[in-house]
Amino acid sequence: MSAAAQVSLDSLRGKVVYVDFWASWCGPCRISFPILQQLRDELGPEGFEVLAINLDEDESDARQFLADVTVSYPVVRDAAGVTPRAFGVMGMPTGYLVDRAGVVRVIHQGFRKSDGEPLRASIVELLGE
Amino acid sequence: MARPKDDRNASLLALTSSALLLPAYQCAQADAPPEFTELGMRYSKYDEDDILARKAFGGGSERYEIDVAQFHLLAPVADQWSVALDVAWEDMSGASPWFVGESASGSPKVIMSGASIEDTRTEVSGTTRYYYDRGNAGINYTYSDEDDYTSHAVAVDGAFNSEDGLTTYSAAVSTSHDNIDPTQGSIPTNTLNARKDINSVWMGVTRIVSKRALLRFGLSYTYRDGFLTDPYKGDDRRPDERKEWAASTGYRHFFEAPNAALHVDYRYFNDDWDVESHTVDVAWEQNLPQNFRVTPFIRYYTQQEAEFFYNIEEPGYEHFSDDYRLSAFGAFSYGLRLRHDFGNWSVNFDAERYKTDESWGIYSGEESPGLVDFWRYGFGLDYIFR
Amino acid sequence: MSLLMIVVLCGCETVQPWERGILAKEEMQWQTNAAEAQLRNQIYASKEASSGGAGASGGGCGCN
Repeated sequence: MSAAAQVSLDSLRGKVVYVDFWASWCGPCRISFPILQQLRDELGPEGFEVLAINLDEDESDARQFLADVTVSYPVVRDAAGVTPRAFGVMGMPTGYLVDRAGVVRVIHQGFRKSDGEPLRASIVELLGE
Repeated sequence: MARPKDDRNASLLALTSSALLLPAYQCAQADAPPEFTELGMRYSKYDEDDILARKAFGGGSERYEIDVAQFHLLAPVADQWSVALDVAWEDMSGASPWFVGESASGSPKVIMSGASIEDTRTEVSGTTRYYYDRGNAGINYTYSDEDDYTSHAVAVDGAFNSEDGLTTYSAAVSTSHDNIDPTQGSIPTNTLNARKDINSVWMGVTRIVSKRALLRFGLSYTYRDGFLTDPYKGDDRRPDERKEWAASTGYRHFFEAPNAALHVDYRYFNDDWDVESHTVDVAWEQNLPQNFRVTPFIRYYTQQEAEFFYNIEEPGYEHFSDDYRLSAFGAFSYGLRLRHDFGNWSVNFDAERYKTDESWGIYSGEESPGLVDFWRYGFGLDYIFR
Repeated sequence: MSLLMIVVLCGCETVQPWERGILAKEEMQWQTNAAEAQLRNQIYASKEASSGGAGASGGGCGCN
Protein backbone atom coordinates (compact mmCIF):
# COMPACT_ATOMS: atom_id res chain seq x y z
CA MET A 1 0.00 0.00 0.00
CA SER A 2 1.02 3.56 -0.47
CA ALA A 3 -0.10 6.13 2.06
CA ALA A 4 -0.48 8.73 -0.66
CA ALA A 5 -2.83 6.64 -2.80
CA GLN A 6 -6.46 7.67 -2.56
CA VAL A 7 -9.69 6.33 -3.91
CA SER A 8 -12.70 8.37 -4.88
CA LEU A 9 -16.18 6.96 -5.36
CA ASP A 10 -16.52 9.38 -8.27
CA SER A 11 -13.78 7.48 -10.06
CA LEU A 12 -15.94 4.35 -9.81
CA ARG A 13 -19.04 6.06 -11.28
CA GLY A 14 -20.45 3.96 -14.08
CA LYS A 15 -19.73 0.74 -12.18
CA VAL A 16 -21.89 -1.17 -9.73
CA VAL A 17 -19.98 -0.81 -6.44
CA TYR A 18 -20.32 -2.67 -3.17
CA VAL A 19 -19.02 -0.32 -0.46
CA ASP A 20 -18.11 -2.56 2.48
CA PHE A 21 -17.44 -1.15 5.94
CA TRP A 22 -15.40 -3.62 7.99
CA ALA A 23 -12.97 -4.10 10.87
CA SER A 24 -10.53 -6.85 11.76
CA TRP A 25 -12.29 -7.64 15.05
CA CYS A 26 -15.67 -8.27 13.38
CA GLY A 27 -16.34 -11.99 12.87
CA PRO A 28 -18.86 -11.78 9.99
CA CYS A 29 -16.44 -9.46 8.14
CA ARG A 30 -14.03 -12.37 7.89
CA ILE A 31 -16.79 -14.49 6.37
CA SER A 32 -17.66 -11.78 3.83
CA PHE A 33 -14.18 -11.29 2.34
CA PRO A 34 -13.77 -14.50 0.32
CA ILE A 35 -17.38 -14.23 -0.88
CA LEU A 36 -16.92 -10.63 -2.05
CA GLN A 37 -13.66 -11.63 -3.76
CA GLN A 38 -15.46 -14.41 -5.62
CA LEU A 39 -18.24 -12.06 -6.75
CA ARG A 40 -15.70 -9.54 -7.94
CA ASP A 41 -13.71 -12.23 -9.84
CA GLU A 42 -16.89 -13.36 -11.55
CA LEU A 43 -18.67 -10.06 -12.17
CA GLY A 44 -15.73 -7.64 -12.34
CA PRO A 45 -15.47 -7.84 -16.15
CA GLU A 46 -19.13 -6.77 -16.41
CA GLY A 47 -18.51 -3.65 -14.31
CA PHE A 48 -18.75 -4.72 -10.66
CA GLU A 49 -16.30 -3.44 -8.07
CA VAL A 50 -15.87 -3.79 -4.31
CA LEU A 51 -14.58 -0.90 -2.24
CA ALA A 52 -13.72 -2.05 1.27
CA ILE A 53 -13.39 0.66 3.93
CA ASN A 54 -11.47 -0.41 6.99
CA LEU A 55 -12.50 1.16 10.30
CA ASP A 56 -9.92 -0.31 12.70
CA GLU A 57 -8.55 2.18 15.18
CA ASP A 58 -5.20 0.47 15.00
CA GLU A 59 -3.86 0.15 11.47
CA SER A 60 -1.62 -2.82 12.36
CA ASP A 61 -4.75 -4.88 13.21
CA ALA A 62 -6.06 -4.27 9.68
CA ARG A 63 -2.72 -5.18 8.11
CA GLN A 64 -2.56 -8.41 10.07
CA PHE A 65 -6.07 -9.31 8.91
CA LEU A 66 -5.21 -8.58 5.28
CA ALA A 67 -2.04 -10.68 5.51
CA ASP A 68 -4.33 -13.51 6.51
CA VAL A 69 -7.24 -12.87 4.14
CA THR A 70 -5.91 -11.48 0.87
CA VAL A 71 -8.19 -9.77 -1.61
CA SER A 72 -7.51 -8.04 -4.92
CA TYR A 73 -10.16 -5.33 -4.65
CA PRO A 74 -9.25 -1.90 -3.22
CA VAL A 75 -9.19 -1.64 0.57
CA VAL A 76 -9.05 1.85 2.01
CA ARG A 77 -8.86 3.11 5.54
CA ASP A 78 -10.93 5.70 7.36
CA ALA A 79 -9.70 5.80 10.94
CA ALA A 80 -11.53 9.07 11.61
CA GLY A 81 -14.93 7.49 10.88
CA VAL A 82 -16.07 10.21 8.47
CA THR A 83 -17.53 7.87 5.84
CA PRO A 84 -19.42 5.44 8.12
CA ARG A 85 -21.06 8.44 9.77
CA ALA A 86 -22.04 9.85 6.38
CA PHE A 87 -23.43 6.48 5.26
CA GLY A 88 -25.21 5.92 8.57
CA VAL A 89 -23.56 2.57 9.37
CA MET A 90 -25.62 0.81 12.07
CA GLY A 91 -23.66 -2.42 12.51
CA MET A 92 -20.55 -4.26 11.45
CA PRO A 93 -20.17 -5.09 8.69
CA THR A 94 -22.51 -2.95 6.60
CA GLY A 95 -22.38 -3.01 2.81
CA TYR A 96 -23.95 -0.46 0.41
CA LEU A 97 -24.65 -1.59 -3.12
CA VAL A 98 -24.38 1.47 -5.37
CA ASP A 99 -25.74 1.41 -8.93
CA ARG A 100 -24.03 2.77 -12.05
CA ALA A 101 -25.59 6.18 -11.45
CA GLY A 102 -24.08 6.41 -7.96
CA VAL A 103 -27.29 5.75 -6.00
CA VAL A 104 -27.42 3.35 -3.04
CA ARG A 105 -29.88 0.61 -3.93
CA VAL A 106 -29.34 -2.06 -1.28
CA ILE A 107 -28.08 -1.87 2.30
CA HIS A 108 -26.73 -5.09 3.70
CA GLN A 109 -26.09 -5.38 7.43
CA GLY A 110 -24.15 -8.29 8.96
CA PHE A 111 -22.87 -11.13 6.80
CA ARG A 112 -23.61 -14.83 6.62
CA LYS A 113 -22.35 -17.40 4.14
CA SER A 114 -25.81 -17.77 2.65
CA ASP A 115 -25.95 -14.01 1.91
CA GLY A 116 -23.67 -14.48 -1.12
CA GLU A 117 -26.41 -15.79 -3.43
CA PRO A 118 -29.04 -13.03 -2.92
CA LEU A 119 -26.28 -10.42 -3.06
CA ARG A 120 -25.10 -11.84 -6.39
CA ALA A 121 -28.67 -11.64 -7.72
CA SER A 122 -28.92 -7.96 -6.72
CA ILE A 123 -25.59 -7.17 -8.37
CA VAL A 124 -26.57 -8.94 -11.59
CA GLU A 125 -29.86 -7.02 -11.64
CA LEU A 126 -28.08 -3.67 -11.24
CA LEU A 127 -25.47 -4.57 -13.85
CA GLY A 128 -28.30 -5.21 -16.33
CA GLU A 129 -29.88 -1.78 -15.87
CA MET B 1 -31.18 -7.16 2.82
CA ALA B 2 -32.98 -3.90 3.28
CA ARG B 3 -34.11 -1.33 0.75
CA PRO B 4 -32.42 2.01 1.32
CA LYS B 5 -34.18 4.90 2.95
CA ASP B 6 -34.22 8.24 1.17
CA ASP B 7 -32.02 10.00 3.70
CA ARG B 8 -29.33 7.41 3.12
CA ASN B 9 -29.43 8.12 -0.61
CA ALA B 10 -29.01 11.79 0.13
CA SER B 11 -25.96 11.19 2.26
CA LEU B 12 -24.35 9.08 -0.44
CA LEU B 13 -25.08 11.58 -3.17
CA ALA B 14 -23.45 14.28 -1.10
CA LEU B 15 -20.50 12.02 -0.66
CA THR B 16 -20.08 11.03 -4.27
CA SER B 17 -20.20 14.61 -5.45
CA SER B 18 -17.04 15.36 -3.49
CA ALA B 19 -13.92 13.28 -3.85
CA LEU B 20 -13.58 10.67 -1.15
CA LEU B 21 -10.07 11.10 0.19
CA LEU B 22 -8.77 7.99 1.83
CA PRO B 23 -5.38 6.36 1.90
CA ALA B 24 -5.66 3.11 -0.07
CA TYR B 25 -4.26 -0.34 0.59
CA GLN B 26 -4.02 -3.26 -1.70
CA CYS B 27 -5.73 -4.94 0.11
CA ALA B 28 -20.24 -4.89 18.74
CA GLN B 29 -21.45 -5.94 15.61
CA ALA B 30 -24.52 -7.95 14.61
CA ASP B 31 -25.03 -11.22 16.48
CA ALA B 32 -23.40 -14.09 14.69
CA PRO B 33 -22.65 -17.72 15.41
CA PRO B 34 -19.04 -18.64 16.19
CA GLU B 35 -16.98 -18.54 12.99
CA PHE B 36 -15.15 -21.78 13.74
CA THR B 37 -15.62 -25.01 15.62
CA GLU B 38 -14.01 -24.91 19.05
CA LEU B 39 -12.86 -27.87 21.08
CA GLY B 40 -11.72 -27.70 24.71
CA MET B 41 -10.48 -30.10 27.32
CA ARG B 42 -9.71 -29.42 30.92
CA TYR B 43 -8.50 -31.21 34.01
CA SER B 44 -9.00 -29.73 37.50
CA LYS B 45 -8.23 -30.80 41.02
CA TYR B 46 -10.17 -29.64 44.04
CA ASP B 47 -8.46 -30.42 47.33
CA GLU B 48 -9.75 -29.49 50.80
CA ASP B 49 -7.30 -28.90 53.66
CA ASP B 50 -7.29 -31.50 56.45
CA ILE B 51 -9.58 -30.67 59.32
CA LEU B 52 -7.53 -29.52 62.31
CA ALA B 53 -7.27 -31.78 65.37
CA ARG B 54 -8.65 -29.07 67.66
CA LYS B 55 -11.79 -28.82 65.55
CA ALA B 56 -12.62 -32.52 65.26
CA PHE B 57 -13.24 -35.44 67.57
CA GLY B 58 -10.81 -38.24 66.87
CA GLY B 59 -8.04 -35.86 65.72
CA GLY B 60 -7.33 -34.20 62.41
CA SER B 61 -8.34 -36.00 59.27
CA GLU B 62 -8.43 -35.68 55.54
CA ARG B 63 -11.41 -34.04 53.92
CA TYR B 64 -12.75 -34.05 50.43
CA GLU B 65 -11.06 -34.07 47.07
CA ILE B 66 -12.44 -34.07 43.54
CA ASP B 67 -10.78 -34.76 40.20
CA VAL B 68 -12.66 -33.15 37.34
CA ALA B 69 -12.33 -33.68 33.59
CA GLN B 70 -14.28 -31.38 31.27
CA PHE B 71 -14.89 -31.58 27.56
CA HIS B 72 -16.36 -28.76 25.46
CA LEU B 73 -17.38 -28.63 21.82
CA LEU B 74 -18.97 -25.62 20.11
CA ALA B 75 -19.75 -25.68 16.40
CA PRO B 76 -21.50 -23.33 13.98
CA VAL B 77 -24.30 -25.06 12.07
CA ALA B 78 -26.09 -23.90 8.93
CA ASP B 79 -25.31 -20.17 9.02
CA GLN B 80 -27.59 -19.09 11.86
CA TRP B 81 -27.22 -21.84 14.44
CA SER B 82 -24.67 -23.27 16.78
CA VAL B 83 -24.60 -26.41 18.87
CA ALA B 84 -22.57 -27.04 21.99
CA LEU B 85 -21.84 -30.21 23.90
CA ASP B 86 -20.34 -30.13 27.37
CA VAL B 87 -19.42 -33.22 29.34
CA ALA B 88 -17.92 -33.31 32.83
CA TRP B 89 -16.69 -36.28 34.84
CA GLU B 90 -15.99 -35.92 38.54
CA ASP B 91 -14.37 -38.40 40.86
CA MET B 92 -15.01 -37.55 44.49
CA SER B 93 -13.48 -39.11 47.57
CA GLY B 94 -12.81 -38.37 51.22
CA ALA B 95 -14.71 -37.37 54.31
CA SER B 96 -17.31 -34.73 55.13
CA PRO B 97 -18.50 -33.39 58.49
CA TRP B 98 -21.16 -35.78 59.80
CA PHE B 99 -22.33 -33.84 62.82
CA VAL B 100 -21.15 -31.35 65.43
CA GLY B 101 -20.88 -32.26 69.11
CA GLU B 102 -19.82 -30.48 72.26
CA SER B 103 -16.35 -31.28 73.55
CA ALA B 104 -15.44 -31.63 77.25
CA SER B 105 -14.17 -28.03 77.22
CA GLY B 106 -17.50 -26.83 75.85
CA SER B 107 -16.30 -25.92 72.37
CA PRO B 108 -18.09 -27.53 69.43
CA LYS B 109 -16.17 -30.06 67.34
CA VAL B 110 -17.12 -31.98 64.23
CA ILE B 111 -17.35 -35.71 63.83
CA MET B 112 -16.23 -36.66 60.35
CA SER B 113 -18.00 -39.26 58.28
CA GLY B 114 -14.77 -41.25 57.99
CA ALA B 115 -13.15 -41.76 54.61
CA SER B 116 -16.34 -43.35 53.41
CA ILE B 117 -17.46 -41.23 50.49
CA GLU B 118 -16.61 -42.53 47.03
CA ASP B 119 -18.70 -41.20 44.22
CA THR B 120 -18.46 -40.31 40.58
CA ARG B 121 -20.58 -37.78 38.74
CA THR B 122 -21.19 -37.47 35.02
CA GLU B 123 -22.81 -34.40 33.56
CA VAL B 124 -23.86 -34.11 29.94
CA SER B 125 -25.13 -30.81 28.64
CA GLY B 126 -26.34 -29.95 25.14
CA THR B 127 -27.15 -26.45 23.90
CA THR B 128 -28.48 -25.24 20.60
CA ARG B 129 -28.55 -21.56 19.80
CA TYR B 130 -30.20 -19.51 17.05
CA TYR B 131 -28.72 -16.16 16.00
CA TYR B 132 -31.02 -13.54 14.55
CA ASP B 133 -30.07 -10.06 13.36
CA ARG B 134 -30.29 -8.42 16.74
CA GLY B 135 -29.71 -11.18 19.23
CA ASN B 136 -29.73 -14.86 19.91
CA ALA B 137 -31.76 -17.49 21.75
CA GLY B 138 -30.72 -20.84 23.13
CA ILE B 139 -32.10 -23.95 24.73
CA ASN B 140 -30.09 -26.23 26.98
CA TYR B 141 -30.65 -29.65 28.45
CA THR B 142 -28.40 -30.95 31.23
CA TYR B 143 -28.35 -34.41 32.73
CA SER B 144 -26.30 -35.19 35.81
CA ASP B 145 -25.87 -38.61 37.33
CA GLU B 146 -24.19 -39.75 40.55
CA ASP B 147 -24.54 -42.93 42.61
CA ASP B 148 -26.98 -41.14 44.90
CA TYR B 149 -28.29 -38.21 42.83
CA THR B 150 -29.74 -37.59 39.39
CA SER B 151 -30.83 -34.33 37.85
CA HIS B 152 -32.59 -33.33 34.65
CA ALA B 153 -32.60 -29.64 33.81
CA VAL B 154 -33.86 -27.51 30.93
CA ALA B 155 -32.95 -23.85 30.42
CA VAL B 156 -34.08 -21.36 27.79
CA ASP B 157 -32.39 -18.00 27.32
CA GLY B 158 -32.48 -15.09 24.93
CA ALA B 159 -30.72 -11.81 24.25
CA PHE B 160 -31.95 -8.81 22.30
CA ASN B 161 -29.91 -5.77 21.24
CA SER B 162 -31.32 -2.25 21.01
CA GLU B 163 -31.29 -0.72 17.51
CA ASP B 164 -28.11 1.27 18.18
CA GLY B 165 -26.53 -1.87 19.62
CA LEU B 166 -25.55 -0.06 22.82
CA THR B 167 -27.88 -1.99 25.11
CA THR B 168 -28.53 -5.73 25.32
CA TYR B 169 -31.50 -7.15 27.21
CA SER B 170 -31.25 -10.79 28.29
CA ALA B 171 -33.52 -13.23 30.07
CA ALA B 172 -33.43 -16.88 31.05
CA VAL B 173 -35.63 -19.45 32.72
CA SER B 174 -34.61 -22.87 33.95
CA THR B 175 -36.19 -25.84 35.63
CA SER B 176 -34.48 -28.79 37.27
CA HIS B 177 -35.95 -32.04 38.59
CA ASP B 178 -33.65 -33.86 40.94
CA ASN B 179 -33.84 -37.25 42.62
CA ILE B 180 -31.92 -38.05 45.80
CA ASP B 181 -31.25 -41.69 46.57
CA PRO B 182 -28.61 -41.79 49.36
CA THR B 183 -26.08 -44.60 49.40
CA GLN B 184 -26.78 -46.85 52.37
CA GLY B 185 -23.56 -47.58 54.22
CA SER B 186 -21.98 -47.11 57.61
CA ILE B 187 -23.97 -44.02 58.55
CA PRO B 188 -27.76 -43.68 58.67
CA THR B 189 -29.24 -41.28 56.11
CA ASN B 190 -32.03 -38.75 56.51
CA THR B 191 -34.08 -40.19 53.68
CA LEU B 192 -34.16 -43.29 51.52
CA ASN B 193 -35.46 -41.54 48.45
CA ALA B 194 -36.61 -37.96 47.89
CA ARG B 195 -37.16 -35.36 45.17
CA LYS B 196 -36.45 -31.72 44.73
CA ASP B 197 -37.33 -29.18 42.05
CA ILE B 198 -35.45 -25.99 41.28
CA ASN B 199 -37.04 -23.26 39.16
CA SER B 200 -35.20 -20.10 38.28
CA VAL B 201 -35.73 -16.90 36.29
CA TRP B 202 -33.13 -14.31 35.43
CA MET B 203 -33.11 -10.92 33.69
CA GLY B 204 -30.15 -8.82 32.71
CA VAL B 205 -29.21 -5.58 30.96
CA THR B 206 -25.80 -4.91 29.46
CA ARG B 207 -24.81 -1.44 28.35
CA ILE B 208 -21.83 -0.08 26.45
CA VAL B 209 -20.55 2.75 28.63
CA SER B 210 -17.70 3.95 26.43
CA LYS B 211 -15.28 2.64 23.78
CA ARG B 212 -13.51 0.81 26.56
CA ALA B 213 -16.13 0.03 29.21
CA LEU B 214 -19.14 -2.25 29.65
CA LEU B 215 -21.61 -2.46 32.51
CA ARG B 216 -24.32 -4.98 33.33
CA PHE B 217 -27.04 -5.61 35.87
CA GLY B 218 -28.86 -8.82 36.59
CA LEU B 219 -31.69 -9.96 38.81
CA SER B 220 -32.57 -13.56 39.52
CA TYR B 221 -35.17 -15.45 41.51
CA THR B 222 -34.88 -19.13 42.38
CA TYR B 223 -37.51 -21.33 43.98
CA ARG B 224 -36.47 -24.66 45.48
CA ASP B 225 -39.09 -27.13 46.52
CA GLY B 226 -38.75 -30.59 48.00
CA PHE B 227 -36.12 -32.38 50.08
CA LEU B 228 -33.55 -29.65 50.80
CA THR B 229 -32.03 -31.40 53.81
CA ASP B 230 -28.53 -32.89 53.54
CA PRO B 231 -29.18 -36.65 53.49
CA TYR B 232 -25.86 -37.53 55.12
CA LYS B 233 -25.62 -35.06 58.00
CA GLY B 234 -26.29 -36.31 61.53
CA ASP B 235 -29.47 -34.48 62.34
CA ASP B 236 -30.42 -32.15 59.54
CA ARG B 237 -33.98 -30.88 59.14
CA ARG B 238 -34.38 -28.01 56.70
CA PRO B 239 -37.58 -26.41 55.42
CA ASP B 240 -38.89 -28.04 52.23
CA GLU B 241 -39.05 -24.73 50.40
CA ARG B 242 -36.55 -21.98 49.70
CA LYS B 243 -36.97 -18.66 47.86
CA GLU B 244 -33.80 -16.90 46.76
CA TRP B 245 -33.09 -13.50 45.22
CA ALA B 246 -29.83 -12.39 43.70
CA ALA B 247 -28.95 -8.99 42.27
CA SER B 248 -25.66 -8.69 40.45
CA THR B 249 -23.63 -6.13 38.61
CA GLY B 250 -20.47 -6.36 36.55
CA TYR B 251 -18.05 -3.90 34.98
CA ARG B 252 -15.30 -4.34 32.39
CA HIS B 253 -12.76 -1.64 31.54
CA PHE B 254 -9.89 -1.79 29.10
CA PHE B 255 -6.70 0.14 29.77
CA GLU B 256 -4.60 0.74 26.67
CA ALA B 257 -1.30 1.72 28.29
CA PRO B 258 -0.84 -1.55 30.21
CA ASN B 259 -2.86 -3.47 27.55
CA ALA B 260 -5.07 -4.97 30.26
CA ALA B 261 -8.72 -5.34 31.21
CA LEU B 262 -10.18 -4.85 34.68
CA HIS B 263 -13.09 -7.10 35.68
CA VAL B 264 -15.24 -6.23 38.70
CA ASP B 265 -18.32 -8.24 39.68
CA TYR B 266 -20.60 -7.94 42.67
CA ARG B 267 -23.57 -10.02 43.82
CA TYR B 268 -26.07 -9.49 46.60
CA PHE B 269 -27.98 -12.59 47.66
CA ASN B 270 -30.92 -12.97 49.98
CA ASP B 271 -33.30 -15.82 50.83
CA ASP B 272 -36.18 -16.75 53.10
CA TRP B 273 -33.91 -18.90 55.30
CA ASP B 274 -32.46 -15.58 56.50
CA VAL B 275 -29.27 -16.08 54.56
CA GLU B 276 -27.90 -12.84 53.13
CA SER B 277 -24.56 -12.54 51.37
CA HIS B 278 -22.24 -10.24 49.45
CA THR B 279 -19.72 -11.42 46.87
CA VAL B 280 -17.04 -9.29 45.20
CA ASP B 281 -14.84 -10.61 42.41
CA VAL B 282 -11.98 -8.59 40.90
CA ALA B 283 -9.68 -9.76 38.12
CA TRP B 284 -6.97 -8.08 36.07
CA GLU B 285 -6.45 -9.57 32.60
CA GLN B 286 -2.92 -8.53 31.69
CA ASN B 287 -1.76 -9.15 28.13
CA LEU B 288 1.94 -9.89 27.76
CA PRO B 289 4.15 -10.14 24.67
CA GLN B 290 4.12 -13.32 22.56
CA ASN B 291 0.41 -13.97 23.16
CA PHE B 292 0.74 -14.66 26.87
CA ARG B 293 -1.81 -13.42 29.35
CA VAL B 294 -1.64 -13.48 33.13
CA THR B 295 -4.75 -12.87 35.25
CA PRO B 296 -4.52 -12.41 39.00
CA PHE B 297 -7.91 -12.47 40.72
CA ILE B 298 -9.34 -12.05 44.21
CA ARG B 299 -12.76 -12.82 45.63
CA TYR B 300 -14.40 -11.91 48.90
CA TYR B 301 -17.55 -13.56 50.18
CA THR B 302 -19.50 -13.02 53.39
CA GLN B 303 -22.77 -14.57 54.52
CA GLN B 304 -25.24 -14.36 57.38
CA GLU B 305 -26.22 -17.63 59.05
CA ALA B 306 -29.50 -19.38 58.25
CA GLU B 307 -32.15 -18.89 60.92
CA PHE B 308 -32.01 -22.59 61.88
CA PHE B 309 -28.22 -22.91 62.04
CA TYR B 310 -26.83 -23.95 65.45
CA ASN B 311 -23.76 -25.96 66.34
CA ILE B 312 -25.58 -27.83 69.10
CA GLU B 313 -29.23 -28.81 68.91
CA GLU B 314 -31.68 -27.99 71.70
CA PRO B 315 -34.98 -29.85 72.08
CA GLY B 316 -37.96 -28.28 70.37
CA TYR B 317 -36.35 -26.89 67.19
CA GLU B 318 -38.58 -27.39 64.17
CA HIS B 319 -35.72 -26.93 61.75
CA PHE B 320 -32.09 -27.52 62.50
CA SER B 321 -28.75 -27.76 60.74
CA ASP B 322 -25.16 -27.69 61.97
CA ASP B 323 -23.87 -27.57 58.38
CA TYR B 324 -20.96 -25.12 58.21
CA ARG B 325 -22.32 -23.92 54.84
CA LEU B 326 -25.26 -22.32 56.65
CA SER B 327 -23.13 -20.60 59.33
CA ALA B 328 -21.97 -16.98 59.32
CA PHE B 329 -18.48 -16.63 57.85
CA GLY B 330 -16.24 -14.71 55.51
CA ALA B 331 -14.10 -16.21 52.77
CA PHE B 332 -11.16 -14.82 50.84
CA SER B 333 -9.86 -16.47 47.75
CA TYR B 334 -7.10 -15.46 45.39
CA GLY B 335 -5.54 -17.04 42.38
CA LEU B 336 -3.80 -16.75 39.09
CA ARG B 337 -4.61 -17.75 35.52
CA LEU B 338 -1.97 -18.07 32.83
CA ARG B 339 -2.84 -18.37 29.17
CA HIS B 340 -0.82 -18.74 26.02
CA ASP B 341 -2.17 -18.75 22.46
CA PHE B 342 -0.15 -20.24 19.61
CA GLY B 343 -1.62 -20.83 16.18
CA ASN B 344 -4.98 -22.51 16.63
CA TRP B 345 -4.12 -23.68 20.14
CA SER B 346 -4.64 -22.09 23.51
CA VAL B 347 -3.25 -23.50 26.72
CA ASN B 348 -4.14 -22.33 30.21
CA PHE B 349 -3.22 -23.03 33.83
CA ASP B 350 -4.92 -21.75 36.93
CA ALA B 351 -4.63 -22.07 40.68
CA GLU B 352 -6.85 -20.75 43.45
CA ARG B 353 -6.58 -20.67 47.23
CA TYR B 354 -9.81 -20.37 49.25
CA LYS B 355 -9.81 -19.66 52.99
CA THR B 356 -12.67 -19.12 55.43
CA ASP B 357 -13.00 -17.66 58.91
CA GLU B 358 -15.96 -16.62 61.01
CA SER B 359 -14.20 -13.36 61.97
CA TRP B 360 -13.71 -12.33 58.32
CA GLY B 361 -17.43 -11.94 57.81
CA ILE B 362 -19.47 -8.78 58.30
CA TYR B 363 -22.23 -10.80 60.00
CA SER B 364 -21.74 -12.20 63.47
CA GLY B 365 -22.82 -15.70 64.45
CA GLU B 366 -21.72 -18.94 66.00
CA GLU B 367 -18.46 -20.12 64.47
CA SER B 368 -18.77 -23.54 62.86
CA PRO B 369 -15.85 -25.91 63.47
CA GLY B 370 -16.49 -27.37 60.02
CA LEU B 371 -15.46 -24.35 57.88
CA VAL B 372 -13.50 -25.41 54.83
CA ASP B 373 -10.30 -24.17 53.15
CA PHE B 374 -9.26 -25.55 49.79
CA TRP B 375 -6.95 -25.41 46.79
CA ARG B 376 -8.10 -25.66 43.21
CA TYR B 377 -5.78 -26.24 40.23
CA GLY B 378 -6.62 -26.56 36.58
CA PHE B 379 -5.04 -27.16 33.23
CA GLY B 380 -6.87 -26.65 29.94
CA LEU B 381 -6.20 -27.01 26.24
CA ASP B 382 -8.37 -25.45 23.53
CA TYR B 383 -8.28 -25.81 19.79
CA ILE B 384 -9.99 -23.80 17.03
CA PHE B 385 -10.62 -25.48 13.66
CA ARG B 386 -9.64 -22.47 11.58
CA MET C 1 -31.86 -0.86 41.88
CA SER C 2 -33.81 0.32 38.85
CA LEU C 3 -33.20 3.92 39.88
CA LEU C 4 -29.48 3.23 40.04
CA MET C 5 -29.65 1.67 36.60
CA ILE C 6 -31.31 4.73 35.08
CA VAL C 7 -28.77 7.09 36.64
CA VAL C 8 -25.87 5.00 35.40
CA LEU C 9 -27.29 4.40 31.93
CA CYS C 10 -27.77 8.09 31.31
CA GLY C 11 -24.06 8.65 31.92
CA CYS C 12 -23.14 6.62 28.83
CA GLU C 13 -21.64 7.98 25.62
CA THR C 14 -22.71 6.97 22.16
CA VAL C 15 -20.21 4.49 20.84
CA GLN C 16 -20.52 3.98 17.08
CA PRO C 17 -20.67 0.41 15.74
CA TRP C 18 -17.21 0.77 14.21
CA GLU C 19 -15.77 2.00 17.51
CA ARG C 20 -16.38 -1.28 19.33
CA GLY C 21 -13.12 -3.04 18.54
CA ILE C 22 -11.83 -2.87 22.12
CA LEU C 23 -15.15 -4.12 23.48
CA ALA C 24 -14.93 -7.10 21.12
CA LYS C 25 -11.62 -8.22 22.61
CA GLU C 26 -11.68 -11.59 24.29
CA GLU C 27 -10.39 -10.19 27.59
CA MET C 28 -13.37 -7.79 27.72
CA GLN C 29 -15.97 -10.58 27.74
CA TRP C 30 -17.99 -11.36 30.89
CA GLN C 31 -16.29 -14.74 31.07
CA THR C 32 -12.87 -15.40 29.64
CA ASN C 33 -12.81 -19.12 30.40
CA ALA C 34 -16.30 -20.65 30.46
CA ALA C 35 -15.27 -24.13 31.62
CA GLU C 36 -13.26 -22.78 34.53
CA ALA C 37 -15.99 -20.31 35.46
CA GLN C 38 -18.58 -23.08 35.46
CA LEU C 39 -16.47 -25.22 37.79
CA ARG C 40 -15.69 -22.28 40.09
CA ASN C 41 -19.36 -21.38 40.40
CA GLN C 42 -20.29 -24.99 41.08
CA ILE C 43 -17.66 -25.24 43.86
CA TYR C 44 -18.68 -21.93 45.45
CA ALA C 45 -22.36 -22.89 45.32
CA SER C 46 -21.64 -26.20 47.03
CA LYS C 47 -19.50 -24.69 49.82
CA GLU C 48 -21.53 -21.54 50.46
CA ALA C 49 -25.22 -20.86 51.06
CA SER C 50 -25.61 -18.65 47.95
CA SER C 51 -25.82 -19.33 44.26
CA GLY C 52 -27.03 -17.78 41.03
CA GLY C 53 -26.79 -14.23 39.83
CA ALA C 54 -25.13 -14.68 36.46
CA GLY C 55 -27.74 -16.24 34.20
CA ALA C 56 -30.21 -18.99 34.97
CA SER C 57 -28.98 -21.71 37.25
CA GLY C 58 -28.24 -25.01 35.60
CA GLY C 59 -29.07 -28.44 36.93
CA GLY C 60 -28.51 -29.54 40.47
CA CYS C 61 -25.95 -31.92 41.84
CA GLY C 62 -25.43 -33.73 45.13
CA CYS C 63 -22.11 -31.91 45.56
CA ASN C 64 -21.38 -32.46 49.24
